[in-house]
Formats: sequence, structure tokens, C-alpha cells
Amino acid sequence: MSRRFLTAEDVRRAGSKEILVDAETVVTPQALDVARSTGVTIRTGSGPYTEPSPDRGPDAAESSLHLPALPEPAGELIGTGVIVTCVGRNRPGVLSEVTSEVAAANASIHDVSQRMVGEYFHLVLVVELTTPQEFAGLKERLECLGGQDDYVVRVMHERVFRFMHRI
Amino acid sequence: MAFTDQEILETIRMVELETLDIRTTTLGISLLDCADPDLESTCEKVYTKIVHHAKNLVPVADSIAADYGVPIVNKRIAVTPVSWIAGPSGADDLTPLALALDAAAKEVGVDFIGGYTTYVHKGFTRADDRLLESIPQALASTDHVCSSVSLGSTRAGINMSAVARFSDVVLETARLTAKEGGLGCAKLVCFCNVVEDNPFVAGAHVGIGEAETVLNVGVSGPGVVRSALERLGPDADLLAVASVIKRTAFKITRMGELVGREAAKRLGTSFGIVDISLAPTPAVGDSVADILELMGVERTGAPGTTALLALLTDAVKKGGAMASSSVGGLSGAFIPVSEDQGMIDAVEAGALSLAKLEAMTAVCSVGLDMVAVPGDTPAHVLTGIIADEMAIGMINSKTTAVRIIPVPGKGPGETVEWGGLLGTAIVQDPGTFGCDVLHRRGGRIPAPVQGFKN
Repeated sequence: MSRRFLTAEDVRRAGSKEILVDAETVVTPQALDVARSTGVTIRTGSGPYTEPSPDRGPDAAESSLHLPALPEPAGELIGTGVIVTCVGRNRPGVLSEVTSEVAAANASIHDVSQRMVGEYFHLVLVVELTTPQEFAGLKERLECLGGQDDYVVRVMHERVFRFMHRI
Repeated sequence: MAFTDQEILETIRMVELETLDIRTTTLGISLLDCADPDLESTCEKVYTKIVHHAKNLVPVADSIAADYGVPIVNKRIAVTPVSWIAGPSGADDLTPLALALDAAAKEVGVDFIGGYTTYVHKGFTRADDRLLESIPQALASTDHVCSSVSLGSTRAGINMSAVARFSDVVLETARLTAKEGGLGCAKLVCFCNVVEDNPFVAGAHVGIGEAETVLNVGVSGPGVVRSALERLGPDADLLAVASVIKRTAFKITRMGELVGREAAKRLGTSFGIVDISLAPTPAVGDSVADILELMGVERTGAPGTTALLALLTDAVKKGGAMASSSVGGLSGAFIPVSEDQGMIDAVEAGALSLAKLEAMTAVCSVGLDMVAVPGDTPAHVLTGIIADEMAIGMINSKTTAVRIIPVPGKGPGETVEWGGLLGTAIVQDPGTFGCDVLHRRGGRIPAPVQGFKN
């Protein structure tokens, strides 16, 4: 029988040792409990019941196609740009520490800019990752560098800047 | 695409120093297919459907926060007004539905779940009646459930019988949660011209025209606007002020759009709206009152406050509308008194009265929000306050709301601490004159003539 949910009450009322549900039917936890305790098997046409993936509705898949274009130019790699900023007290080796971590993540640096204000520096790197999956790891490693009285590193995805600063 | 250092540092500054964050990612879930003649089965379906759809919400939001380096403060769920699915059961006590919502919220780890809601702006179904009756118990016996009630609209007028009943519900909720300073009322709000895609609690729910599931985002950012105005200084004229607010709102909204699109994509659901609301928190600097004071009043509540708030709300909407084609929800500026340190200070200094707050709600994006009144405030006075607020919304074709907390055992001028995001409130004086006759009349205030637009 085609149905959205199979509830405990449905299992009790079924009066059989086996209930056949559609692959899309969601069986409630209470129904599974009742079935287990009364020895009822719940299955789909293709085998034992497993929770289906959520049906987000008829327009969910399509809806993203209708979103107006935002500043993400075609042809450029999307999802791999990373902006790294460091601010802190200057000392020998800061740039090297940061760029070593970038290199260790197999990422390349597209742009570097550094300014000094007195004994303090701020450094901006535009980094390109070869695989977007490495973002979280790179972010964690870079943000562990420096320290409270040394320097602070911030890592953000390039898309944030695109969305925020481009019309 | 190259960015200037200035652009890069501006974004970093907004997130690091000016408390810019995504205030909420709210997954809307339609529960219309959960209605069942048996209340227990309805609860089962409600719980199952919410968990089924929302179990990945928190991990997805956290992964986006990590991937983009943008904080996402709250993860919430909004559902179909529960009174719409309670009808077939014919049950008298609908509290089990609130418990089911609460259990689902706990299971998936969200902060709040909105949708213990009913629309009674013109009349009651039996389920509406039962739901309204059960709100105090539902709020007292759950941790995460939020409730809202639609009491009026420009199209329908104001259901004054419902307003009177809502006042009793507020008082009873305060009584049942007296130990926590009437905290239950912080999760209860009424609306005129209710917004059906609002991602912010307490009013979050999923209206009848919404999709099966939809991801809405609420962005905040009073701190960012405040800092931008600080840099602008007191000598710039108001056109420059409006322009700075618009540009700032544009950037904040875009951040919301990015997170909303990405969250919808990762969840495989539709992206709904970005609600671009300046939503203050008790954190220092994250204040709408501070913004108004930078714009030009000595203290929030002083003459000039309403004019500046009108400019602020409108400029936020304009910046947001330019940034995204999906701006929705309440979008504008919130003025929740207890949640905004600047507002609390203004009340304490005697600058911000209840009457001035009401005037401000005519131009802010919501209404009387998180206002504390004495615990012994009579129901007819609450009815009057709510009716006035609903009338402002009805006549101006805008959304207005009332979230009012009669604090048990407290009188005017006393302080109540709710803690966390809800902050601290100073109990305000609603005056000594009431409106008992209005309260008892019942019936409706008819729709205003501009309601007949067909």
C-alpha cells in the first residue's frame, strides 16, 4: 500500500506477520519497536526496510536552477580559492611558517601582500587549493600557527569575499 | 578574481570584531501529511518526519561554518502551524504534539523549533481553539518549542475575541513559568500580518504556500552597521548615513545568501529566503539602540528616534533587496528590549517608555518585542497593548508582533534576568488606566478599507 508513514497503530492493525511498504515510506521508530516486539517483518519490494533518503518535495531539485546568478564567473575554479590573513608582531620566520603550511597542503599562492605598521605586520595571501576537500585541514593547520602574543591567522573561503564585495 | 586588501580586511573585521554572523539557519518542514485521526499517530509522524528531514541540519550548518569561516550561531526548525494538522484527531489536549516537537528538536540538536502556531485572525476552528488553550502547558512542559498566534491582518481586520483570549494565554504562561521569571512568554508571540517564511523565533513557522522543505537563513549584524556609522562620524548628512547602511546591509545579506544557498544544496532542499534583520544580542556593541544613538539621538527613545529608526529599517531593506532576490521574512530592524544592552540602558535612564516603543514599532520591522510588564498586569491591559500593536500593523499593511512578559512578582522599575540571548529586562510601567470594556466586547475590528484591494 502506498503511504507516507507507517505508524505503530498501522502495524498493530495490519494483522499479518509481514508488512510490505513502498521504498519511499518512512516507518516511525515506534512502528519498528512494535514490529520487533510482535515478530512482524517490515519490508519493501526489493528487500528489508531501510530508511529512505528524505523526499524534499517536487521542486527541491529544480529550485537551485532558478536562483539568479551571483558573482561566480564561469571558467574560474570555484571552491578552491582561500584567503589567508595574518596579523601580529613581526619576527623573523613568520612568512616562512605560513607559506610552509600552504605548501604542505599542496596549495599554491596566487598573491601576497604584506604591510608593516611599526613593529606589527599584516599579511594577506590568496591561495589556490588543488582539491577543495583540503580546505578544512589547511584552515586548521594555519589557524594553529602563531599564538596570543605572536600572530593570529584567519582563513576564509574566497566565495565569501566574492559574494560580499562584487555585485 | 582579485580583491583589494581593504575589501579583505573589511570582511575579516566584520566577522572578528563586529560580531557579524549568520544568526540562524532554519529548516522549514511541512507537516501537512502528518495529520491523522489518532493524536498519538500524529505525534509519531511529526517526530519521525522532523528527525528524518532535519537530522543533517546541524552537521551541515557546522560544516559550512567550518568551510567558509563564517559563524552560524543557531540551527532551528520551523514547521507547519500545528493546529492545521491537529484537526482530524479531535483531541482536546494538544500538549502531546508540543512534546513530540520538543523531542524531535532534542534528537536533532537544534536550538528551537517554531510552529506551535495557530491562525485565528478571523475565526477559530475547533483545533485552533484547542491549540490556543494548550499553549501555556505546552510552553511550560517543553524546552525548545516556540509558539505564535496570528491575531489580525490588513485583509481580515483584528479578531478581538482572539486578542482577549491571547492575553489570558500570556498571563497563564507567565504563571506556569513563574520560577524562571515568566520565561515561557519569551517563546510566545502574536502577529498582525503574520510572515509565513520567518526564520527567527519565536514566530518561525512554515505557511501554507511553502514547499515540502525549505531552508531559510536569518542574518544579523547590528555591530557591523554600528561600526560603519562610527567611521562615518557625526558630521555626515542623512543621505550619507542611509547610503552607508545600505552598502553594509548589501554585504551582510550576500553572506546570508551564500550560506543559505550552500546549506540548501548540501541538504538537497529548496533555498527559501534570507531574512536580513538587524537582530541585537546582549553582547556589547551588538545593539540597534547604539546605532540609533550614533545616527543622532542622545538616547534611544528621545524625540527623533522614530524618524531615525524609519530611515534605518528602510535602508536595511533596500541594501538587502539589491543584494538578493530572495529577501524575505521580517527583514529590517528588530527592537527586542531585553536583548539589546542599549535599549536596557535607555529604559533604565528613563528615556524609553512603553509609549515611545509603540511609536517605534510603526516603523521597525516587527513590534513590541521582549517587553517586561508587572506580573499583576490585568488581562484587559494586555488586550489593549496587543490591540494597539495589531492596529498599527493592520492600518500600515505591515507586520507587527507582541512578545510581552508579565514577570510574576515584579513591579515597574524592577529588573529580571533571563540570561543568555534573552538578556535582562527592566519591568516597564503600562500605566494605571485600563480598557476593560474593550476587553469584554469581543468581536472583530473590521478590515480597513485598503484591505479590499481585489
